[in-house]
Amino acid sequence: MGRVSMTAERSTGWITGCAVLFLLGALLLPWIGPSAVDIQRVFAKAAPDYSIFVQLRITRTLLGLLVGGSLALTGGLFQAMLRDSLATPYTLGVSAGAALGAVTTLALDLDSVLGVPALWIGATVGAGVVLAMVAGASWKSGHISGVRLLLTGISLNSICSAFILLIYGVVRERRSFSITQWLLGSIDSVSYSALGVFAVAVVVSSIVLFRQARAWNLIAVGEFWAASRGVDLQRVMLTGYICGSILTAGAIALSGPIGFVGLVVPHLVRSRISADNRLLLPCSFLLGGVLLAACDTVGRIVLAPAELPAGAVMAVIGGPYLIWVVRRRF
Amino acid sequence: MTDLLDASDIAFAYGPNVILESAGFSARGGEFVALLGLNGAGKSTLLDILAGLRAAQSGSVRIDGRTLSQWSARERAQIISHLPQGIRGELPFTVEQIVLMGRYAYADEWFESDEDRRQATEAMDRMQCLGYRHRQYHTLSGGERQRVLLAACLAQQPKILLFDEPSTYLDVQQQLQCFSTLAAIALSGALCIAVTHDLNLALAHCTRLLILHRGKIAADTAVTEAARDPKWLSLLTEGMRLVETPEGRPWVVYR
Repeated sequence: MGRVSMTAERSTGWITGCAVLFLLGALLLPWIGPSAVDIQRVFAKAAPDYSIFVQLRITRTLLGLLVGGSLALTGGLFQAMLRDSLATPYTLGVSAGAALGAVTTLALDLDSVLGVPALWIGATVGAGVVLAMVAGASWKSGHISGVRLLLTGISLNSICSAFILLIYGVVRERRSFSITQWLLGSIDSVSYSALGVFAVAVVVSSIVLFRQARAWNLIAVGEFWAASRGVDLQRVMLTGYICGSILTAGAIALSGPIGFVGLVVPHLVRSRISADNRLLLPCSFLLGGVLLAACDTVGRIVLAPAELPAGAVMAVIGGPYLIWVVRRRF
Repeated sequence: MTDLLDASDIAFAYGPNVILESAGFSARGGEFVALLGLNGAGKSTLLDILAGLRAAQSGSVRIDGRTLSQWSARERAQIISHLPQGIRGELPFTVEQIVLMGRYAYADEWFESDEDRRQATEAMDRMQCLGYRHRQYHTLSGGERQRVLLAACLAQQPKILLFDEPSTYLDVQQQLQCFSTLAAIALSGALCIAVTHDLNLALAHCTRLLILHRGKIAADTAVTEAARDPKWLSLLTEGMRLVETPEGRPWVVYR
């Protein structure tokens, strides 16, 4: 591991490998589910197989791939940006902030503002505000303190959760039902148009971040280290904050708060493939997508006909992994 | 001829704590300057300001006659390299990856060019870390790490090198090696400025001593003159005095 230097051939190999897995996930996972879907009937557009496949399975798989990818990529990004191996959208409270923003819009029964779903706007604002607060509160004489970062993140997480409960308590029954459903962190029913808008946001943010991968390598090692090697720190960090907030908020708005994928995947990639963000960021995206989509598939078959939300399956895998990371680190 | 580096009237405060009041000096290529001072005198802060990492509240820094704030981050990195006291080392980066980071300011591509690799190899060779280029940084000893960071700075091909306590954590042998390398870099025409607490190390290798005291450069002396005017030493401590080695070099000993 890490014995071969970063070369075009080596990284192309890894990224191609991960992309193949991603495509395989996209092609195979929609066929797996509680009710069997017949491939010939789907191509003949016969009911009910065709509608199950097109309206449920494909959208769910695509959403899982995009949400998992976004959260894993953001995890890798935050770990470089804040130089802390436990920084993820979830542990920093950014997910909770997005959730609070989203729940607020659900409670107010807002539908859309200027054509954009209000839920997305609420989530983006919530994520951005929490991220700014976490980074601001853990800033201490020129650098970000890891302990402060996590403690602030945990506190903000609790505060946001408390406000979500508060809102939940005061709204009427009909709305509290939609809130509950959303909070479970499942990735079922979503429209193709919402998926399309999210996909565009994900692709644009990811490309922006991948292009900065070398700068993120230097920032991961040290802010002054990066600045003195020629990284335009303010510009790169600002881009990171904006892209990180958009990715987290989009993922959370469409799927509810899902944790751990942002922790498990970047750590796995860092220790098994490379710490170089030119590999780490794209591979995290591709593998995170596959992992969450696979978790969702597992969730819909293990207790069939009942469904386990993808977030719950992810937590069952991610929880023990976090404990293992903490044991190795402290 | 304009000075390579010219700092004048630098002032800096952390809130109400005034660190630098009106610090200033100028220096040329080929000099190896030791920046001395008591703890909290503002040595690291001054170095950060010279490197463009912090903005002074007043005063100016000129590089090659041009104000530092007018340089872009990338242009600046091609002239000045700053070695911080430590980096976050537990990430599984290899030695070669760290040294190649020194080439960031020259790269437009997503991958390093052949020229970047050549420069990095040359720098690793010079700092004697080529033999362990594929090892992970966090598995190295303190001395090995320092050589890697120095190699990254050299790969940057700077004209000005600023070192914040480069000999910390090094054993005696490695301290000597570190300072003689810096002296050699200065001899090849670059300006080296190193913060250090080791007076004899500075006297043996540097060409000039700057003493930062109460927010100002309170003493500025060539090492060859250091024995004649011991005022600089009294700014640091009363517990030491200057003697002369049999070779005629200044040396400090405990009273």
